[in-house]
Amino acid sequence: MIEALVGLLRFAAPVAFAATGETVGQRAGVINIGLEGMMLGAAYFAMLGSLTTGSPAVGLLCGVGVALTLGAVQAYFTLRLAVDQIVVGTALNLFALGLTSTLYRARFGGSGQLISVPRLPQFGPGLDAALVALPVLVVAAAWGLFRTKWGLALRGVGEYPAAVEAAGYGVARLRFQATVVGSALAGLGGGYLALGVTGSFAENMTAGRGFVAIAMVTFGRWRPAWVLAACLLVGWVDSLQYELQARGLGIPAQILIALPYVLALVVLVAVGKGTAAPAALAVPYRRER
Amino acid sequence: MTKGFLWFTVLALALVGCTGGGGGSTTTSSPAAQPADAGFKVALLTPGPVSDAGWSAMAYRGLQAIEKELGAEVNNQQATDAQIRDAMRSYAQKGYRLVIGHGFEYNGPGVEVAKDFPNTVFVSSSGAGSSANAGAIRFGLEEGFYLAGMAAALTSKTGRLAMIGGPDVPSIRSTFKAFKAGAEAAKPGIQVSDSFTGKNDDIAAARQATLAALGQGADVVIHQANAAAQGVFDAAKEKGALAFGANLDQNDNPSGVVLASAVIVAEPAFVALARSVKDGSYKGGVQLMAMKDGAIDFVWNPALASRVPPGVAARIDQAKADIKAGKLAVPMDQF
Repeated sequence: MIEALVGLLRFAAPVAFAATGETVGQRAGVINIGLEGMMLGAAYFAMLGSLTTGSPAVGLLCGVGVALTLGAVQAYFTLRLAVDQIVVGTALNLFALGLTSTLYRARFGGSGQLISVPRLPQFGPGLDAALVALPVLVVAAAWGLFRTKWGLALRGVGEYPAAVEAAGYGVARLRFQATVVGSALAGLGGGYLALGVTGSFAENMTAGRGFVAIAMVTFGRWRPAWVLAACLLVGWVDSLQYELQARGLGIPAQILIALPYVLALVVLVAVGKGTAAPAALAVPYRRER
Repeated sequence: MTKGFLWFTVLALALVGCTGGGGGSTTTSSPAAQPADAGFKVALLTPGPVSDAGWSAMAYRGLQAIEKELGAEVNNQQATDAQIRDAMRSYAQKGYRLVIGHGFEYNGPGVEVAKDFPNTVFVSSSGAGSSANAGAIRFGLEEGFYLAGMAAALTSKTGRLAMIGGPDVPSIRSTFKAFKAGAEAAKPGIQVSDSFTGKNDDIAAARQATLAALGQGADVVIHQANAAAQGVFDAAKEKGALAFGANLDQNDNPSGVVLASAVIVAEPAFVALARSVKDGSYKGGVQLMAMKDGAIDFVWNPALASRVPPGVAARIDQAKADIKAGKLAVPMDQF
């Protein structure tokens, strides 16, 4: 029973890490469409790090480092040059997919290989260090956003940046900090997919998890604990549908595969009223001169 | 602003006039408009990345064999849905003599595009349509899956088997049917479940689907998950189950749970096809490449021979001989 719960948590964790970071980012008005690319880049380099050093911990750090680098590129374009966040994020996704695929083929051959690398060491009922850190990070994100002065300013930047600037804070600085948090957690999510869940890598192995994470932020109404709950719920339904498929009930696989997303849509329709979204989400900030 | 836009439009139209006009004449005029035979060129279109260590990878190896053995100039790209016709046309316009589309979904577009390019041959891996310069090679992987089903049923202790697929497509369904038929032939009443993740690259989903199936009591699993197959093998290892490899020989997988593999040996078939196109003897039609042609094989993993109950290997060998001799017909869907 406990092992089944831990298994569920593990399956949902990559999205949960990324969604927690994305919650912090979106609260500051930064929508990270490049989340998928950051996760994929992190997954590849985490795998490579674990393969070459034999240490999954080092691999995970490599993944976070790569995601932070991509985050810095994104921040340069969106904050310094005030380029549209969606455009930069999309470019980042394409870049990460091309880069990881090219590097993968250069290293593992044109026709590919099934890869197996050391996974994070597990203890107890299948727990590992990153999985234990997940709830801690969610609590830290909630505390930081809602119980600190920094969090108040950050949320302000997501709602009405001009007011926060008038109060003496730097808008770009706060958004940069939010991007750093978001990228690091995206890296943790991608790295965990490669080293915590699978111990492997395949081209495009994130398979849309970055976009699911963005959806989970809306689903969880921009509150870290609710976002985590949303990730767990969707992860649970996703693993439940595999149980249903294996039982052979005669329901078409396509319907079952869509089940978690149908559920997310239904919940959004039910609870999605009102304007919980940060007002300045995805709006580039230009100081008026 | 408006003036700039006007200039831009004029320029764009001029460019379209130059390139589009030229292209148009190539598509509609006589065969002679295609570039003359400046070296033998072969192209490959795949539904997934050629680095998937499975279905598309196998075709890529076939293409590399064509390059090596016939000295052909080769090129490949991933093309799905609406991209297929465009990719076929542009290869034909560039003078490619053979365009291989690796999947049944390339058959219809190939036959259609072939009408406009009589000097190019369009061949798909499975599919039913054909003409003088278009056709299909149907790999009968079902025969390998049938034997795997027999072996799985005779090895299983729980009487439950699982099949894990990526996308739910007719070609994968057909191999799963054959696996099930083989299992039922060897052990009537055996339970065989199928699960699909919908994706070829999602290792975590393949792993989760496998864990769920093994959780229902299955102890032997086969896959059609291509690049995500490691998730299937690792889940089997975690639960103490056994697995079968598919498409390529995956017996040496580091998980150490692959009992045997149902393999497509595509290289000789691809080289023979390219040779017939090169010397002009290609006639079109749908060609079945199966076990008796050496295109399909079922390969045991010697390292796990001790996990196979006595007598099973001999029974599989007998069935293999029967299939080759045409005495045992394995069900295959037409699509």
